[in-house]
Amino acid sequence: MLGLALGLLATILHAALMFAGAPLLVGAAEKLRARLLGRRGAAVMQPYRTLLKLIAKVPVVPDNASELYQVWPFVCPAAIAAAALLTPGFCFGMAGAGQSDFITFIGLLGIGRAATVLAGLETGFGFGGAGAGRAVLFSLFGEAALLLVVLTLALLGHGVTLDGIGMGLRRGHSGAPISLGLALLAVLAVALAENGRAPADDPAGRQELAMVQNALPLEYSGRFLALFEYAAMLRLAVWLSLIGALFLPFGMADAGMVLTWPLGLLSWLIKLAGFAGALVLFEIFVGRVRIFQVPAVLAGATLLGFLAVVFLLVSRGLGA
Amino acid sequence: MTLLVGLPGQGMHLGIDPLSGLFLCLLAPLVLACAIVGPSRSVAFWVFVLGTAAAVLAADAFTLILGFGLMSAAAWFLALHGGWRAMLLVAAALFCGFCLVGAMYLPPSYAAFLLLLLGVGAMSCLALVRFQPPPDGLPAPVAALLSGGILTVSLYVLIRYVFVVFGAVGAAWWGGVLLAAGAAAMLFGAARAVLQTEIEALLAGAAVAQLGSIAAALGIALWAKAMGNPALATLAVQAALLGGVGQALFTPLLWLGAGAVREATGTTSLDWLGGLMRGMPKLGLLMLFGASGIAALPLGPGFPALFLLLHAVIAGAAGGGLWAALGFGVLLAALGFAVALLQAAALRLIGIGFLGRPRSLRAAAAEEADRRTLIGIGFLAALCLPLALLPGLLLAALRPVVALLVPGAPALPLPYAPLPIAVLMLAVAGAAWFGLQRYGARGEREAPAWNGGFGKPPIWLPFGDPQTQPSGSGFAAPVRAVLGWFAMPHAAPSKRAALSIPAPRRMLRWRARLHRAAEGHRLALAFGVFVVALLALRLGQGN
Repeated sequence: MLGLALGLLATILHAALMFAGAPLLVGAAEKLRARLLGRRGAAVMQPYRTLLKLIAKVPVVPDNASELYQVWPFVCPAAIAAAALLTPGFCFGMAGAGQSDFITFIGLLGIGRAATVLAGLETGFGFGGAGAGRAVLFSLFGEAALLLVVLTLALLGHGVTLDGIGMGLRRGHSGAPISLGLALLAVLAVALAENGRAPADDPAGRQELAMVQNALPLEYSGRFLALFEYAAMLRLAVWLSLIGALFLPFGMADAGMVLTWPLGLLSWLIKLAGFAGALVLFEIFVGRVRIFQVPAVLAGATLLGFLAVVFLLVSRGLGA
Repeated sequence: MTLLVGLPGQGMHLGIDPLSGLFLCLLAPLVLACAIVGPSRSVAFWVFVLGTAAAVLAADAFTLILGFGLMSAAAWFLALHGGWRAMLLVAAALFCGFCLVGAMYLPPSYAAFLLLLLGVGAMSCLALVRFQPPPDGLPAPVAALLSGGILTVSLYVLIRYVFVVFGAVGAAWWGGVLLAAGAAAMLFGAARAVLQTEIEALLAGAAVAQLGSIAAALGIALWAKAMGNPALATLAVQAALLGGVGQALFTPLLWLGAGAVREATGTTSLDWLGGLMRGMPKLGLLMLFGASGIAALPLGPGFPALFLLLHAVIAGAAGGGLWAALGFGVLLAALGFAVALLQAAALRLIGIGFLGRPRSLRAAAAEEADRRTLIGIGFLAALCLPLALLPGLLLAALRPVVALLVPGAPALPLPYAPLPIAVLMLAVAGAAWFGLQRYGARGEREAPAWNGGFGKPPIWLPFGDPQTQPSGSGFAAPVRAVLGWFAMPHAAPSKRAALSIPAPRRMLRWRARLHRAAEGHRLALAFGVFVVALLALRLGQGN
């Protein structure tokens, strides 16, 4: 009973931190990027101000939009929020741990992407359509790569839930570290493409013709746009937490043991900050690739995922 | 139960067990929905229904063949209008019948299995190629009944023979054959679905992919059964059965919807549709639900089957030997690619066909489908709801079928509960909505679409310039470029040109070709090199 209550408490804390802190993560990353590029940059709290400003504005709805125009902005963050509640953040064993299946997680992110793509096609204008086509193109190879990573992690961590894999890997694993490294590379490629980051996309780009993720909600404004922007911030936090929990599960707390929580929270904070810093550094040094080369990158990620499986199996076969 | 008519001295035997009961339950909503949407006075319609029932209830091979015969005769009677295609069809039907009769009267062996596979595969392809899109003069409900009925009965025959009749003699490689065929069908169907312009052809591709995923699940089950792994076999059979239920419910839903679109606009080409969600909102919502089944997204009716299939593949890789695990790894990548293609196809169906601006006047003037159609389609959608939201209960109800197919099947809880996820998403969306109502700006302002700054279209183009919005072909163009000639098998470059060049330059030419090759080709090449190298390693190990 106590365990259940603690699990619920941990989930609430996790959700509060995740939902409230996602814009902060983006703000800090933007600040760091500006500093590294020699600019002063906007304040760290800028994403909150942007969201509040958008919420205060009356949205403009295109006159040829369908009834579903106002539904997509709610579907997208809801699906990503559900995924966020399944992702282990600072601790394992939260209330949703039993349901945190990796394939369900991939599917929930897929719902978010589908809602965004349909929002881009909603008014039938050129930039949204082009962005939708490109977003779909990028998703083609990402799914296969991600599934191979799931296979690697399931073999290494003896579980298929995010929680189970993370806990299994924290206990230590018998497999080759090289598989884990290859799987990490594959996940990073997919995560960058899914979040609309360099090399696939430029989150700061303001030129419609070159946009991918940003082109989809171009016809949205006001509170609807705020929902899409918030969903994008939340998605970044979810992906970074996921990578931290699966590949660097050190210092993660257990929901049942309150005394481990502070260390877990601290390590979560450090991991997210480290990942955000690494992301910004990577984006500064690596430019965007051409749109038709992004599938090449993701196909490479698929091959890396397969290599991870092969190395793992071969090393296991040699060991046995 | 024995009927007195039939073969002299033997009569006909009808029987019902959990498997045939399940398939009867799948045929009933199909027949009912098609009869609601387009009531048919034709005798052939009901003869077809009788034939499907006879085939599913048959307890001997003769009755099964008779049921098939009734179905085929009724189908040809309904759909044929002479011409050379009719002759081709008769030839193809004869081929199917020949394979099936051979399979049923041969002693249970690999020859019978291969003949059965050939017959069932040809039957399903025929059903999809011939009746989707419906031939001239054939109403969409009848075509949906013909396709859906033939597909359901073929699936039933495959499961019945491979798991029950040949159950004792099945070898592990049978599963491998079925698995490879299923994965190939999945990739092929998904690629067709994402590239086709006609909605019915798109749906036929998606149905091929769906059947492929069922066949792959059955293959895993067969393999696991032969290897003595009932837990994996149970998982895979559950995936196949849920896939079959989905196939029998949301595929006809989409076909009937496509028929309603054709009735309202005179076309189903995505390049001429668009904006249907404004004219036919109810049909659009039902189609959106069906498309979520194709895309196999969570909370949709297609997800439970895919979830179980992917888990079966992962469990197979974890439990099998090195080579089986590698095979499952390749299969997993193929499944992932196919699923992504299917998601793209579903997004294209809804995003291009039902959202956006109309691309023709007929599409702009489309009116909501009539009551009967909506009731029929809504009935199928309502039946999909338990599959989408309560798959655990459905699996519990399917226990007897699973136990029949996999003797000694353990009870496996389903680790996917859509209801809590749905409640969670609703709660988040509701909280966001209330928060924005309470603290945000009220209401919204309507204005012409921003459209990259082009603003309001001129008066003579009430829906804007159709050329400025993405078309069905345009949306698929990047995918086509990535797939290369996998998309169009006929367009393979001829080999003669390459061979007429001396060897060193040929090498250069290959390098250049590799450089220019589409992404799909490069990935396939790399995978092929992997597999060949692994096979070489295997052979070396064997010596």
